[in-house]
Amino acid sequence: MKQIYTLRAALVAVLVMVCFAFLPAITNAQEKVVKQITAAEEPVISPADKETIKTFNERVKQYVSLRSSLKAKAPKLSKDSTPEQIQAAETSLMAALRTSRAAAKPGDIFTPDSAQYIRTTLKREFNSNEKKEIRKVVLDKETNIPVTLKVNFPYPDPKEFVEMPATLLLKLPPLPKEVKYRYVGRNLILVDSDNNMIVDYMIDALP
Amino acid sequence: MRRVAHSVLTVVVLVLFSSFNPSYCQAVSKGAVGNKVSLAVKPALPLSLPLKEGSVRFAIMGDTGTGSKQQQQVADLMKQYRDAFPFEFVLMMGDNLYGSETPADYRKKFQDVYQRLLDDKVKFYATLGNHDQPNERFYEYFNMNGKEYYRFTKGNAAFYALNSNYMDKKQLEWLESELAKDTSDWKIAFFHHPPYSSGGKHGSDKQLREVVEPMFVKYGVNVVLSGHEHFYERIKPQKGIYYFISGAGGKLRDGDVNERSPLTEKFFDSDMSFMLVEIVKGDMHFQVISRTGETVDSGVLANQKKKL
Repeated sequence: MKQIYTLRAALVAVLVMVCFAFLPAITNAQEKVVKQITAAEEPVISPADKETIKTFNERVKQYVSLRSSLKAKAPKLSKDSTPEQIQAAETSLMAALRTSRAAAKPGDIFTPDSAQYIRTTLKREFNSNEKKEIRKVVLDKETNIPVTLKVNFPYPDPKEFVEMPATLLLKLPPLPKEVKYRYVGRNLILVDSDNNMIVDYMIDALP
Repeated sequence: MRRVAHSVLTVVVLVLFSSFNPSYCQAVSKGAVGNKVSLAVKPALPLSLPLKEGSVRFAIMGDTGTGSKQQQQVADLMKQYRDAFPFEFVLMMGDNLYGSETPADYRKKFQDVYQRLLDDKVKFYATLGNHDQPNERFYEYFNMNGKEYYRFTKGNAAFYALNSNYMDKKQLEWLESELAKDTSDWKIAFFHHPPYSSGGKHGSDKQLREVVEPMFVKYGVNVVLSGHEHFYERIKPQKGIYYFISGAGGKLRDGDVNERSPLTEKFFDSDMSFMLVEIVKGDMHFQVISRTGETVDSGVLANQKKKL
């Protein structure tokens, strides 16, 4: 009888040990998907490039900070907004941004160094096997209707955006949710997430 | 003594096997998944869904926002079908509003078109397409709660609305954290760009597929729905996942499907269409209806991840 109790205890101990032994492996496996994907996509960054990206991030942060202060004064949108409220919020924020950024010019955020870093990064990606595939997506003739690039002006409303290939997006410095990258032909633009106002742009981003 | 030792060994072996990556199990069962698909095209049948009590019922439409006469015809048919098959909500695959997005456009291209469904308290859950302005996420009838990507549940099913226009690291991290803790019987992802497609104009979005598919496989997503292509297509199960394209709710790209595509299980590209779906425990019943009322595809898919 005593022997059976001992064996039962041993069985429980073995099970607990096995579960604990596998727990880290299971947890690691769960953590790996995004990490694996992004690690495969993210480029290796040199110390000089890190400085360039830091400057780029600071400039983006300045814009986001200004935008947040202006948005706080603009009409608020709820999750149940009417089209009229949406339009009013867009127009109001756009007007406030244009006034506050009256002196903004191309290259304020895409500084020459950060523009060069992005060009080099994208060139490396376009040299990969997927080159033709990505080029087909980004430079799609039907969607690439000529757009006049002008800082503080909206991306023309009736025009669709060219798709941002997910793998290409992961190569670029990550952005806060308030701004987004977009391609216009071979050019890269930075637009406001709420009203598609062109915050900055760089020409010939794509090889 | 020997019996106990045998029991210990059996338990250890079971624990070891159950600790394997689920994607391994899916790869093994891939063939069986394909065999479970029942193809029953019944042209003259008005309704081929079981209408079981307590089931999850919804409609799917994509690329709708034109404000055209044809879009209205599809919407009218949806209303007729709702009278026979009371679906609770509609999933929108993006391109909800083409062209300008003034208040008048919201009315002309959405509200007026689906007013009778809105009157019936049908909820629409939208995702953003490449023609959509991001502020659509605040629109009262799109139920996006101000978010570009979001999750909601209905019965035993979880729905993931993703923004495939901009699949950045933040969205991928959110998706993984949500999927990792999701114990729903059915996990259904919907977004605009199709990871698999036999379309001649666009085709499969391989870049998007590269980043989302590993997650879908690992965390047991059952069904992926998308639009962008202006036709209907049911893709052969890929890595154990069912893929549908329903992007002809308001626009049509006539004859765009490559008939020789090895991906396609069934397609319809000669008129506009929408889908009706009913989830009954472990089965997902579907029916695809053309603008003229013809049933162009229907069937039942078994839950490939769980036996219910």
